Amino acid sequence: MINLLDRFFVGRHTGSKDDAKSRLKILLVHDQVDLTPSQMDAMRAEILAVIARYAEIEPTKVDLRLERGDDGVNLVSSVAVRRVNARLAAVGG
Amino acid sequence: MSECIVITSGKGGVGKTTSTANLGVALALMGKKVAVVDADIGLRNLDVILGLENRIVYDLVHVIEGECKLRQALIKDKRVDGLYLLPAAQTRDKNAVSPENMRDLVKQMKEEFDYVLIDCPAGIEQGFKNSIAGADRAIIVTTPEVSAIRDADRIIGLCEAAELPEPMLIVNRFRAKLVKRGDMLNKEDILEILAIPLIGMVPDHEDVIITANRGYPAAFDEKSVVGEAYRRIARRITGETDVPFVATEEPETMWGAVKRWMGFAPVQAGAKAQDGGKPQDGLKEVAS
Repeated sequence: MINLLDRFFVGRHTGSKDDAKSRLKILLVHDQVDLTPSQMDAMRAEILAVIARYAEIEPTKVDLRLERGDDGVNLVSSVAVRRVNARLAAVGG
Repeated sequence: MSECIVITSGKGGVGKTTSTANLGVALALMGKKVAVVDADIGLRNLDVILGLENRIVYDLVHVIEGECKLRQALIKDKRVDGLYLLPAAQTRDKNAVSPENMRDLVKQMKEEFDYVLIDCPAGIEQGFKNSIAGADRAIIVTTPEVSAIRDADRIIGLCEAAELPEPMLIVNRFRAKLVKRGDMLNKEDILEILAIPLIGMVPDHEDVIITANRGYPAAFDEKSVVGEAYRRIARRITGETDVPFVATEEPETMWGAVKRWMGFAPVQAGAKAQDGGKPQDGLKEVAS
């Protein structure tokens, strides 16, 4: 009830600043490393292709991005693996 | 000891000229001898914001080309002691001046003034390079918008590359109401992203438009909240510590009061946080 009244009196709570913040963070990293989003996509695809030669990846649980740290830009990744393909890994290694 | 501060932003229209004019007025009101320099050659505006446009005879390019003495080009503001404007040339282009010219000019001006404030043009080209050439430090103006913050970040990088130590940030056009409902980046968001010390927050207020219409900067007006924000920034520039931030909260609405009475909302929690009377993170560094 109070939320409804809030909506009526205060206006919409769209919380668009979170969008602004996340867009900015990505934008500034790309400005700094001079990598376009499409180049970033290409790099992501290539890295994942290499990983896929050794392990079975859970495609919905892939996070690969550039992040600004105190000492420059870091490539941060978290890739969920279903199982390691032991035979292929032995060949590759 | 005298100091030259460049007011810059990268993006246009975020309030560099308004900030330069108001800080010039505020520092002069504190008894400092101040020169404000319009470095936006070809697109001068600082004269208009200060209401001194009818008194221009010579400009910055005349001084640099030796057509007149510095003293002849400086326009004295009659409303306050110690405030002078060096206008930009309107009919020349930015290539009429070089960084070396500016360095020499600033050196000469620092002998006479406590503060030399340079109003930098938008962009990162010649005009920007000229503006930072003689500066001892930089104040970056931004607004709580993606485009302005992106450009501020670029400018911070360029200042660091030019060995301008510790640029400081003014967040302009702050709207407490939008911040409160999550539709505007707040102070903490901006400082987290830009990672430089904050020297002031200026609320978005109609005073800025009214004072620009009249050529009478808000810093002259004791009752103006924008004027007060700039007067406090001026105090921080001179090294004063413990200058609280102005309350950027808007007055409580009727609905807010009703909600509070019904026990649904805390008592203007935002206002307390904004103006706690304590120096905030960035300010400690400002003071040192």
